[in-house]
Amino acid sequence: MEKLMADLKAQIIEQLNLQEVKPEDIGDDQPLFKDGLGLDSIDALELIVLMQQHYNIRMANPDDGPKIFQSIRTMAEFITANQKA
Amino acid sequence: MKAYIQGAGCISPQETAAGGPFLESVKSYEGNRLAVADPDYKQWIDIKMIRRMSRVIKMGVGASQLSLQDAGITMPDAIITGTAYGCLADTSVFLNKMVTQQEEMLTPTAFIQSTHNTVAGQIALMLGCHAYNNTFVHRAFSFENALLDSMMILQEGNAKHILTGGLDEITDHSHTILSRFGLFRNSISNSADLLQTPGEGTINGEGSAFFVLSSEKGNAVTEMQTPATLYKPSGAVETAVFIKEYLGDVMPDVVISGRSGNADEDMVMGALERKLFPGKAIAGFKHLSGEYPTASAFATWLGHNIIRTQQVPEAVLLSGTAPSAIKNVLIINQYQGTHYSLLLLKAC
Repeated sequence: MEKLMADLKAQIIEQLNLQEVKPEDIGDDQPLFKDGLGLDSIDALELIVLMQQHYNIRMANPDDGPKIFQSIRTMAEFITANQKA
Repeated sequence: MKAYIQGAGCISPQETAAGGPFLESVKSYEGNRLAVADPDYKQWIDIKMIRRMSRVIKMGVGASQLSLQDAGITMPDAIITGTAYGCLADTSVFLNKMVTQQEEMLTPTAFIQSTHNTVAGQIALMLGCHAYNNTFVHRAFSFENALLDSMMILQEGNAKHILTGGLDEITDHSHTILSRFGLFRNSISNSADLLQTPGEGTINGEGSAFFVLSSEKGNAVTEMQTPATLYKPSGAVETAVFIKEYLGDVMPDVVISGRSGNADEDMVMGALERKLFPGKAIAGFKHLSGEYPTASAFATWLGHNIIRTQQVPEAVLLSGTAPSAIKNVLIINQYQGTHYSLLLLKAC
């Protein structure tokens, strides 16, 4: 889980071109949207593509997005659960 | 028709965004490609927004902010841009991903920002401007038609202040493709010498220049006349008639010439200058900006500043001498010998 979360941080920084943000600046439980990392709706689409590209996981229900993309940890948990399945 | 330039901003291969003395020193480049001297865009753009912007968007937003600041205006009544290539970098990213990813899992950002009107749209989003917003994509007449549209709107009385700009960027892909057409020299050791040493081809350039145009004089020092365009003239005689008819009784004090360093094109321009404007001050600009379809926007920024400062910088003067009082500046631009445009600027 720790390695997956570290990978996700690096992938998010690259995919979303988060200039001046380093992996260590992103907390495992820090909210990704709004007051947290400040991501927006376009970034949400980028995150969906990121999960498809890197983990071959398609989100079946877009309504689950807010829960899955709450933090790095929730993303990692979702990926782990779906990769095992 | 006419409009008054209330403010101007330019981001170019020269330090035009720095706000120092007008072209006191110029940057020279080696090779066949000039890149803009990027200012610190974070002074205008929030870091959360800047991460998504390609270079041409940043150039456009930056130059538009400079012109608005210069005019002391926060909200224009319309935003109009001219660009031949649009957002090439994002287009290239999107197309590459379509190929490499077999049209699957395409990311939205590059797609959203690959359209030509992205810059005008982004400026409007940042300003919260819901007014008229349009982009002209007419190759080397893109900026001229943006100006024309602006003037028509001002004449109709539907707007008081219009933010108008011309911009284009170079990408590695576009430079490679355009180089295959033989448009550029193989290399040049000093770009500042481009116009003194005509040869085969020119040098590639890029930039962004914006203007706040108004129907009211206010504090303006420059009045802009309606631009005119001529596509594929049959020869220098037709071009000379075109220029004479445009000027009427006006004799410019300074002519800003669209010489590009390409010997064939410069031979025509030189003949026109000698025939129509003997002894007049002739200034060049493509050794500073490079050649690109909306380079006339850079020339307009140059002409406006010549009138504003009442001086022709040594770095642009090709021949002749300017009078102590500069009243009329004529821009004669040409692009690849096919697109000719005229723009008369007057001191007011």
